[in-house]
Amino acid sequence: MTSRLLAVAVPLLLLTGALSACSQEDDGPFITVYNAQHEELLKELAPKFTDETGIEVKLRNGSDFELGNQLVAEGDASPADVFLTENSPAMSLVEKEGLFAPLEEGTLELIPQAYRPASGDWTGFAARSTVLMYNTSEISEDELPTSIVDLAEPKWKGRVSFSPTGADFQAIVSAVLETKGEAATKAWLEGLAENGEVYDGNNIVMQSVNDGEVETGIAYHYYWYRDQQESGENSSETALHFFTNQDPGAFVSVSGAGVLESSDKQEDAQEFVRWLVDEAGQQALADSYALEYPLNPDVQLDSQVKPFSALEPPVVDVSALNGPKVIELMQDAGLI
Amino acid sequence: MAIRLATQRRPPERAQEGAPVALRLLGVTIAVFALIPLISLVQHAATVDPDVALGQLFRPRMAMLLGHTFGLMVTCVAASIVLSLACAWLVVRTDLPLRGLWHVLLTAPLAVPAFVNGFGWVSLTHAVEGYAGASMVVTLSYFPLVYLPVTAALRGLDPVHEELAGTLGLSRTQTFLRVVLPQLRPAVLGGSLLVALHMLSEFGALKMLRFPTFTTAIYDQFNTSFNGAAAHMTASVLVLVCFVVLLVELRLRGRRRYAPTSSGTPRVAARLELGRARLVALLLPGAVTALALGVPIYSLLRWVSIGTSTGRGSEDLLPTALATIVFALVGALLAVALALPVSVLVVRHASRTSTLIERSTYTANALPGIVIALALITFTIRYVPGLYQTAPVLVAAYLIMFLSRAVVSVRSSLEQAPPVLENVARSLGLSRMAATWRVTVPIVLPGIGAGAALVFIAICTELTATLLLAPIETQTLATRFWSLSGGLQYGAAAPFALLMIGLAMPAVYLLSRTPGRKS
Amino acid sequence: MTVLRTSSLTRSFGSVRALDGVDLEIADGAVLAVLGPSGCGKTTLLRVIAGFLSGDAGEVSLGDRVVLSDGRARVSTKHRNIGYVPQEGALFPHLDVAANITFGLSRRERRAGDVADLLALLELDPSLASRYPHELSGGQQQRVAVARALARKPSLLLLDEPFSSLDASLRESTGRAVMRAVQARGAAALLVTHDQNEALSLADSVGVMQAGKVVQVGPPIEVYAHPATPFVASFVGAGTVLSATVADRVAHTPIGDFDVAEDVGSGPAQVFARPEQVRIVEDSKVVATVRGFDFHGHDATVHLGVDGHPEVLCRVGGDELPTIGDEVRILTHGRVTVYPA
Repeated sequence: MTSRLLAVAVPLLLLTGALSACSQEDDGPFITVYNAQHEELLKELAPKFTDETGIEVKLRNGSDFELGNQLVAEGDASPADVFLTENSPAMSLVEKEGLFAPLEEGTLELIPQAYRPASGDWTGFAARSTVLMYNTSEISEDELPTSIVDLAEPKWKGRVSFSPTGADFQAIVSAVLETKGEAATKAWLEGLAENGEVYDGNNIVMQSVNDGEVETGIAYHYYWYRDQQESGENSSETALHFFTNQDPGAFVSVSGAGVLESSDKQEDAQEFVRWLVDEAGQQALADSYALEYPLNPDVQLDSQVKPFSALEPPVVDVSALNGPKVIELMQDAGLI
Repeated sequence: MAIRLATQRRPPERAQEGAPVALRLLGVTIAVFALIPLISLVQHAATVDPDVALGQLFRPRMAMLLGHTFGLMVTCVAASIVLSLACAWLVVRTDLPLRGLWHVLLTAPLAVPAFVNGFGWVSLTHAVEGYAGASMVVTLSYFPLVYLPVTAALRGLDPVHEELAGTLGLSRTQTFLRVVLPQLRPAVLGGSLLVALHMLSEFGALKMLRFPTFTTAIYDQFNTSFNGAAAHMTASVLVLVCFVVLLVELRLRGRRRYAPTSSGTPRVAARLELGRARLVALLLPGAVTALALGVPIYSLLRWVSIGTSTGRGSEDLLPTALATIVFALVGALLAVALALPVSVLVVRHASRTSTLIERSTYTANALPGIVIALALITFTIRYVPGLYQTAPVLVAAYLIMFLSRAVVSVRSSLEQAPPVLENVARSLGLSRMAATWRVTVPIVLPGIGAGAALVFIAICTELTATLLLAPIETQTLATRFWSLSGGLQYGAAAPFALLMIGLAMPAVYLLSRTPGRKS
Repeated sequence: MTVLRTSSLTRSFGSVRALDGVDLEIADGAVLAVLGPSGCGKTTLLRVIAGFLSGDAGEVSLGDRVVLSDGRARVSTKHRNIGYVPQEGALFPHLDVAANITFGLSRRERRAGDVADLLALLELDPSLASRYPHELSGGQQQRVAVARALARKPSLLLLDEPFSSLDASLRESTGRAVMRAVQARGAAALLVTHDQNEALSLADSVGVMQAGKVVQVGPPIEVYAHPATPFVASFVGAGTVLSATVADRVAHTPIGDFDVAEDVGSGPAQVFARPEQVRIVEDSKVVATVRGFDFHGHDATVHLGVDGHPEVLCRVGGDELPTIGDEVRILTHGRVTVYPA
């Protein structure tokens, strides 16, 4: 049997050796991107960047927390040049460790101040809006709350679902904390813990609403639009409700991009982030399957998605998300 | 992976010579290697302020999570044992139709990763969420780890003891409980240990099945507070639980000897004729196969047919499959290579040190993949930065994670190759090396094959360490499935999972063909 | 009163008739040895009696109960009230001696002295009670296996080559101790063996099996002295088959004459002479050449060459060994059984 195994293994090893030799032949300029955004999105964007600049983009994919913690563990030895996330807290983690190089002025000014930290260490490049999904046969639109804070009221018991363990929901809690204060947030979380069905992941929240398990669910807008695009399997029975009037439920969270200080390809890395937020990159984002909002005001998502300009998000400092206070409040409410 | 003649302590009259120094050194080196994540974990955890640590640990939620973890572990281990005993008995001891096929099918759930199984179930029904559902789905994914050694042991049992029990006035049921079961104990324990440890570190499936445990909490902690130190500290509780499990298993294994008292070749037990009950009996393996294989595969096929993203990324199928195969093969071969010296130490040179070395290979099993991956990042960057994010380090991570699977198999097969056989061979003029090669190696080979197959399957489906440690741009089937399904492109993701299952099938077949005791 | 009776018992495996119309009886408290070469069906017989196998046709009764009729088992092993001692004992490896012995006793049936009594009965040291099987010698394992089988006071003990794995000296003492214990418990025993010494020395009667049939049953002395066929004769002990001419109750053979036990008429026939029926003497007409001998210490079996008979066996005292190649004179005596030519 050993010989049989060897008979399979040896040719395979030779084959991979050959394969990796091939892939190592492209000795042109390249950058390494730690990508916690959806891999498919970057697979659409990166080739366009390469076409324009001749710089190859090599991706390491993972989740926000995996790659964030990996960067912290790597420290100065990191092979990464650029870090992209789905949400901002992982950016804050890496920023706090002092691992980012400041972005160029020209890059920063392309994005409105509300969607990047004051430090200038990283910038938002895509955004998603919080929504309340609802099952259209279980509940009518006029019964829906005007504020996300209302969901803590007793009448919503068993009628709302959400996913508290992801960074997404915590960003929403941060928004409530910023806009309503600590005591109100505490009461809100306790009410929600009492009322809500806890799921893991926004897609599962959507499924549960679609299946009629619960009437409503808190999630991000693009889950719904993408599912409609894929098959409608998980969203055909649902509709979206956008909160308005700077309600914390209208919170918009951002995907971040930053350049690692340890990178020895500063120029190429800076160029990539600049491309990502300038018109070309943002248009590529808008044209992709992702259905996330571009943050450069010159580019619009031209589809059935509710226009970014029509959103009425609250004002929240992106670098203040997921502070220790938010975690403490959520832990006290027994959500994490 | 016939775990049959297991014994921790040898009878006094067979005092053993000490292990050669080189072997002992090798064993200690392997143990230290396997303990890298644990060492790194302790270093991280030690940086946490003790007050904060205590505050974090003694929250009501932690007690709840610990309760969940224990509950799940006990339920799944118990359910796996019952299911495995029933299925093994039907396949080995009755005239159930299509026994050979059922045996392969009952082994096959190993090829379906728990997170794929969970995904399959949840996308069909929400009824599987929570304690009961999670227990069921996870049991369906892991019970073959008990089923396989139990089947092998049952095949090797000399039916003379059961006949005797009949003459001593025991009914068939009593005979099973008092004669068969005790002799299957080492096999049951060995398999249960693996299931229990997998329960400690299971993450993906439990997330989908909405059953928070200690391990999912560790991920949450990384994810929400981005506080690595606190997460590591929580993980150290998991290590304590792991130690308890390892000790309990050692204690249950006990000092009793299970070697056969008769040296004659055992007869093959007569099969019980089920008669009309055959059709009813078919329900059990039929239901298990339908639930453990049918549901996830149906679910994946359904996504292929209804998803609009189906076909996207299909050009990656071949290269990712190839990379997966190469990593899994190399990892599997190296894992059994490392398992051999450990097994030789614990079987042929039993001592406290040998036991410690063997047990240390199990600890990583209980740790979440993220903890192991981060430990290797820190370790590699500090000591061998040139190797960071190269294939050897990824393979090293696989070895640390799955070495115990190889050790369990190799060790039990080595226990069936008594040293006296080598002595006989040497008396026939063979050198020590030649005697080992021509006598012990052939006897141990099925165990080595089984161990390699188990590791192969595990590597095929590993996710976290692969994401963080693979050479840049290297993708495996598991990482592609993860990123596509995370992006809601289930139709595009499903073929990767199906291929992952397909790749593991030859290994499953090899496992199911591994005989029990050779006579 | 019979403990066991089988009548016309048959059982085939494919084309092999393992049991071909077996009729046997064991009286209360008696020991029957079933003797035969391997493959003769003796183990099948024991397994059918125990209920591990069914038959094809025939009947088995234990005491006054028919446990198998028309070849089909009517009473399961559990209710046959038998004891079973397999080869090498097969003690339960996971239980100590005491637990092995009391294994078949329900909690209610167990009494404090049981283990000690049974150990004493088998002439075993009481301190063995807490040992595990692998800590016992082969002979001890075998005695414990018998103790376990006797604990439930079976009316019939089935012994399947129980002493074959023991070395010669141990075999005899263990065998005697086991038979004493069986007798003390008032049980009958069926001993299956291929060792004629064991069968002849331990049993009250011996049944010889050949190809699924019982060819002769009788007391050991009778079977040895008057074997029913040349096969039985050669299986229950050494000897020489000689062609003979019978006339007036005397068998004339090339090596001399023998008395014939009963009147069988006259004409050509075969006879079987035991080694002790051939003696080396000073004076005789028959001359033989010494080809070789098997030395047993107290005596020896000498292989002789005689015209027309390449090998004739002869017993001599251990101190009377001839030299190989010597010419000796031999004399025959005693009675022989006559078989058709």
